[in-house]
Amino acid sequence: MQLIDKLSILADAAKYDASCASSGAPKRSSEGKRGLGATDGMGICHSYTPDGRCVSLLKILLTNFCLYDCQYCVNRRSSDVPRARFTPEEVVTLTLDFYRRNCVSGLFLSSGIIRSADYTMEQLIRVAKLLREEHEFRGYIHLKTIPEADPALIEEAGRYADRLSVNIELPTALSLQTLAPEKQLGSIKQAMQTIYTGVQTVLNEPRAPKFAPAGQSTQMIVGADDTDDSTILHSAQALYGNFRLRRVYYSAFSPIPNSPKSVPLAAPPLMREHRLYQADFLLRSYGYTAGELFKGPGHLALDMDPKLAWALENRAVFPLDLNHAEPALIARIPGIGLRTTERLVELRRQRRIRYEDLARMRCVLAKAKPFFITSDYHPQQAEVTSHLLYQQLRDRPQPQQMGLWG
Amino acid sequence: MIILDCDDLFDTWRQQARRLLSHEIDPSLVSWDSDGRVDLFANDESVPDAPGPFQARIPMALLETLENAARYRGDQRWNLLYEVLWRVSHGDRTAMMAGDKLGSELQRRIKQVRREAHHLHAFVRFVERPAAEGPQYVAWHEPAHDILHSASAHFIGRMGQQRWLIATPRDGVYYDGEQLIHQRQCPPQWQQLAQQVDDPHGELWLTYYSHIFNPARLNPKVMQGHLPARFWKNLPEGVLIPGLISQARTGKQQDGQASGIAGRAGKVLKVQRTL
Repeated sequence: MQLIDKLSILADAAKYDASCASSGAPKRSSEGKRGLGATDGMGICHSYTPDGRCVSLLKILLTNFCLYDCQYCVNRRSSDVPRARFTPEEVVTLTLDFYRRNCVSGLFLSSGIIRSADYTMEQLIRVAKLLREEHEFRGYIHLKTIPEADPALIEEAGRYADRLSVNIELPTALSLQTLAPEKQLGSIKQAMQTIYTGVQTVLNEPRAPKFAPAGQSTQMIVGADDTDDSTILHSAQALYGNFRLRRVYYSAFSPIPNSPKSVPLAAPPLMREHRLYQADFLLRSYGYTAGELFKGPGHLALDMDPKLAWALENRAVFPLDLNHAEPALIARIPGIGLRTTERLVELRRQRRIRYEDLARMRCVLAKAKPFFITSDYHPQQAEVTSHLLYQQLRDRPQPQQMGLWG
Repeated sequence: MIILDCDDLFDTWRQQARRLLSHEIDPSLVSWDSDGRVDLFANDESVPDAPGPFQARIPMALLETLENAARYRGDQRWNLLYEVLWRVSHGDRTAMMAGDKLGSELQRRIKQVRREAHHLHAFVRFVERPAAEGPQYVAWHEPAHDILHSASAHFIGRMGQQRWLIATPRDGVYYDGEQLIHQRQCPPQWQQLAQQVDDPHGELWLTYYSHIFNPARLNPKVMQGHLPARFWKNLPEGVLIPGLISQARTGKQQDGQASGIAGRAGKVLKVQRTL
């Protein structure tokens, strides 16, 4: 099979992994050196596909032959898809070619499980080792980690890769049992623990060899079964806490060809995925906890962002006086982000904040208005009930022509 | 009214602005006009020859901020900077801040400039050419602001000892393996090299681009927000975009697989469970 045919099959097989980030790597440069590639911590999106997703890395599978039969996966062994396998050298050639063209900032390599977990992991490591050692490649490398692989192999992978990831895919043991019978929550968490330990060990040792300096991430599939948002976000929170994950990615389940009856054949729940990312950002950067966002089991509201929903549930906190409130609380005002909060704090050291300043900082005033006070503004809506505010502020999607394939 | 021309060079503007400020000449009395157009109210007042008595004290960060904003191509490019400099040197630091009317325009320009530098890092596409000497990699790019010189050092780290060239309709850069050469007027030979290069192995990238796209998640609006249409014509994958969108709209949206894959023979794997 020609290289280009393999590429088409193995890129198509890799598209269901949401992550394509190239950020968080340490500073490396090839200036005046043999070899190729640089990283500076900032990710670069070199292109965008018409699904609005960033193309930052060459994201492919080493092979889509797979022993497992995960129901949600297009590459499961019972799926009737064309199969292919790259040699490690072919992956190296493609990575270097795309990198020189400035089409990507590195490689994100994953694989179906062939022969055994250890064998598969060894193959992935071999690609990274070739790139780093023979070609002195200093670009970004993200390796998927096979949970059942020997911890010694995971440790080896961490010496070549900037990021490692183990996909948890489904947040509960029960869901995994139903849809991915060969996977075990226990071994997934064990692999995360191995990576976490590796990262922690070199953390304060400047001379130690680097270990996955861009940390680890994972992915959860949303909508393949009936797991609710509360369960998903509570387990994301636990993963951030226990293993210091950099990111949890949420992937709306895309219908796959030859779909088995165990998973839905419906359009991917993109709005739900979007709300989960918003809520996830509140956990990671704003200091919210999952318990604050959910009163019990259930989903996030689809017609309102989670920050606004929280504010409506907690009216006693508001309105906040922007000239005096704690920055962490200002950031909880809907429509005012972290950057605007910083700017407001900077500005109020110079003079008092007025209503028109907020308009100039481009915050979403329609959302923010009921929740803040400035020296020349007090919200009339402060006394309006949350229910009425909800009616005023919720998203009303424009009526749309239904698609043929709705 | 004093009319000045700094030839769109920051250092020239800086000398002029410093002199004006030392005489405390109000921003409303000065106008930079790099196209040499004559202002309706212009008369022949000129900049004083010697420095004046006013000792301006400005924060260190201001100079860098102004230099960044100076890369923005647009109306009032240099006048705006002098107004900011004037206000800050007279004790009003809010002129640099986003909460202020002038400051928010300044910050908006800096943001645009930063974004355009990022566009360069992301959307430049090098094509390899067989070359014993001269550039081994060439690219044609059309930036909206004057970021080429300051932002292209990024590629020195990426490309190592390779020689590369980026040509634009205005300026150009060439890295000869040791140093970066910037030409304010891009030499026509450079422009030709970049625009007339053959790319016999371009298919691989186009194949990758079409297959990593998930038609079931079609969302052209978000894509255009990140990848403005003005860049499409210089990106090899640009020509694929309309076709991929319409294919997805006319049926490919049912599942995520690319049509080229669906047509091929599949293979169900029969395995003896050994794990």
